[in-house]
Amino acid sequence: MLRTSLYNQSQLLSRPFSVLAPLKATVKNGNKSVKAGKHAEAKVPKYEQLSEAQRAYLDRVIRVDQAGELGANYIYAGQIFVLSRKYPHLRPTLNHMRDQEIHHHNTFNALQIKNRVRPSLLTPFWKVGAIAMGMGTAMISPEAAMACTEAVETVIGGHYNAQLRVLTNQFDLEDVSSPENKKGTPQEVKSLIDTIKLFRDQELEHLDTAIKHDSRRAVPYKVITEGIKGICKIAIWSAERI
Amino acid sequence: MVMSSFTPLNKSLLRTTQFKCLRRLYHPASNEYVNPTTISPLTYSMDSIQSKILSHSLKEYVPTSGFNEKSILKSINDLGYSSSMMSVIGASNSPSFAHSSPAVLELIKYNLVSKRIELTKDTNDNTTTTLKELLLKRLEMDIPISSQLRGLFAQLATPGKFMFDVSLPELFQLADDMIFFSNEKDHHDMAWYSKRLAVSMAYVTSKMFMIQDTSNNFQMTMDFASDKVDRVMNLGEYYNNVEEYAWFTLMNSINLVKSQFSRM
Repeated sequence: MLRTSLYNQSQLLSRPFSVLAPLKATVKNGNKSVKAGKHAEAKVPKYEQLSEAQRAYLDRVIRVDQAGELGANYIYAGQIFVLSRKYPHLRPTLNHMRDQEIHHHNTFNALQIKNRVRPSLLTPFWKVGAIAMGMGTAMISPEAAMACTEAVETVIGGHYNAQLRVLTNQFDLEDVSSPENKKGTPQEVKSLIDTIKLFRDQELEHLDTAIKHDSRRAVPYKVITEGIKGICKIAIWSAERI
Repeated sequence: MVMSSFTPLNKSLLRTTQFKCLRRLYHPASNEYVNPTTISPLTYSMDSIQSKILSHSLKEYVPTSGFNEKSILKSINDLGYSSSMMSVIGASNSPSFAHSSPAVLELIKYNLVSKRIELTKDTNDNTTTTLKELLLKRLEMDIPISSQLRGLFAQLATPGKFMFDVSLPELFQLADDMIFFSNEKDHHDMAWYSKRLAVSMAYVTSKMFMIQDTSNNFQMTMDFASDKVDRVMNLGEYYNNVEEYAWFTLMNSINLVKSQFSRM
């Protein structure tokens, strides 16, 4: 359901403001676009091979992000399981956030299969841990659950930013097909960057939502947030490697 | 401020995973890059002198005289190269007094890698090839060297650096290729590992069966292998059914308890 709504959204965004615009297309314009298409087709860039270190890094990126989104999905599942009956007013917010996490998780699942990346060996442990974290904080209070969300999304936001920094800086490859061997980034890395950017923005939106829902009023606020931040950092470190 | 926290990509990233069995690399979309000159574990291209000598000796001498230096030397002489090529061929393997010469190890490695590449050369993305077909095809590839399999197995399974750096990673790579290039469903969790492990086990046991098989054209090995794959798939299905039933029952009972509470 969410996928279609996102799809519609992107369609809406790319749709020109004027409804009549498509009717105005002249023959001249049509020719131009055909020409442009041909031109683009003739110039498909061919990049030099990714180095082993770059491939190892991409492997890590996909593995850790897949595990992270799985965790996020299960944390929200645990929270919804505990909170949805007692605090029905939170249900739509939590469901919306979980739907987005499911979409993120599916995206990384597809990337993992497509690029033949090994999933994290600790996957069953992440599942159990995430559900326990979601249910545990939700049992303390809804504010504690929101504090948990706040902590998790803070760490994830920073983590995605670190990845974006490396992906935009370290993947300038020589385009062998161009005459002067100018540098560029392959399309698949570019689309990975775009995906991570979008997901980072959505995660930070969840952070704002959590703060709006009184996460700062959770009772042992410092303990919960700092503890969960530490757990998340350890989880990221190990999901990258194992 | 933030610039200082860059982690430049270098070899240290690779060093963090010491076990080559666990180390994997991202497979990039091939149409955006120039073709690689070498195939990953080998350090030379497929049309290099080393490759010519090794493939010649695999075809001509290994079926009769086995995986040893004599087969390589005969090929070197046939193709008219200097006999010092022997040390060039073995250059990428470290010498070990508990194992064969580096050149022989390279011959074994070449045998595994070239056949693995050969296996999936003509497959494309939306293939209809089944896992079983690929497994049988790979077994058939070894029929010419069937009398040498005993020696080959002994070399591959000798505990040591070669086993952990070449034999086992090659085995898992083969299982991974078979699953990726067939129409087999792939997974995101532990099933990813268990499926690869099961395929590797089916392949190795079929190969062991092949060693002492005397039937016509190895018909019994092929039957054994297809039976093995079927049984592995059945086992997977049993597990999935049990898991589905257990999950259903768990959810059912939780909902039952919840409904009793909400009535109060």
